Amino acid sequence: MTRIALLLAVLGAACGRRPPIVTLEAGPPLRLVAATGVRINARLKPALELDDGTVVRFDSPLLTPDSAYFAAAPTAALPVSGSGHGTLRLSVCPSGEKICRLVVMAVAW
Amino acid sequence: MRNSAIVMVSLAGLVAVTAAAIRHPAASRGSGGIPAPELTNTSWLNADRPLRLAELRGRVVLLNFWVFTCGNCTRTVPSLVSYDRMYRERGLTIIGIHTPEFPPYAGEHDKGNLARALTREGIAYPNAQDNDRRTWDAYGIRYWPSFVLIDKRGVIRYTGYGEFHLDDEDFRTWHQRIRQLLAE
Repeated sequence: MTRIALLLAVLGAACGRRPPIVTLEAGPPLRLVAATGVRINARLKPALELDDGTVVRFDSPLLTPDSAYFAAAPTAALPVSGSGHGTLRLSVCPSGEKICRLVVMAVAW
Repeated sequence: MRNSAIVMVSLAGLVAVTAAAIRHPAASRGSGGIPAPELTNTSWLNADRPLRLAELRGRVVLLNFWVFTCGNCTRTVPSLVSYDRMYRERGLTIIGIHTPEFPPYAGEHDKGNLARALTREGIAYPNAQDNDRRTWDAYGIRYWPSFVLIDKRGVIRYTGYGEFHLDDEDFRTWHQRIRQLLAE
């Protein structure tokens, strides 16, 4: 798999000083990899909203015991090949912060 | 296998939140504060009509900004249920402000889903559906869960955010704050 590490530099990343806390790996399938200590909310599955209105959800069968977070990187398959763009949306819950944050960003391929 | 290349083109809209004055649980605003923005939500559960802060003068009000898909939020619910049982009859009103993270396709906006979550979590206190984020924005909230404690005069006295558990340090901090405002 080619790894195109593109990064959802989340909260605060706009200033370029925080390392990315989630990485989107190209596939297929697409794969969301959280940085150490960062949990991706599994009760609100990450979504890639395509410009045609299609919503592609990321998922993984491996969850934490309380089913709140993914225990393995969630993946998603694009419905069609070729280029496109859309909006990626996910809820991240850094373990040390005791909160969930919404992350929304534009992506293209 | 063909690899697709995803290219990030923008960080615009990075986080759908606004600047906020909210503070961590350990911080406080003491005896000062600003008037709490009025609640204008129209869809409520566990209430026979929309609640308004103006009608709750004389009671201490704890707002809990949450969403049922947030584990940090649901793990805090037992503490809020405990406060509700201890202090509702003594002048505390807890109000859940249920603010979705995702667009409607995720199901967080659905009143039936919220009703089922309230039952599942044992929540008997009123909850407003904040589907358009009007209350979230009015209070400058940034995280799930967040809390705003309002005194009997309708003034914001304490704010904070983050999961806490029955009888941990933050639980005791909020408990002390509630008791303080009830005693005023």
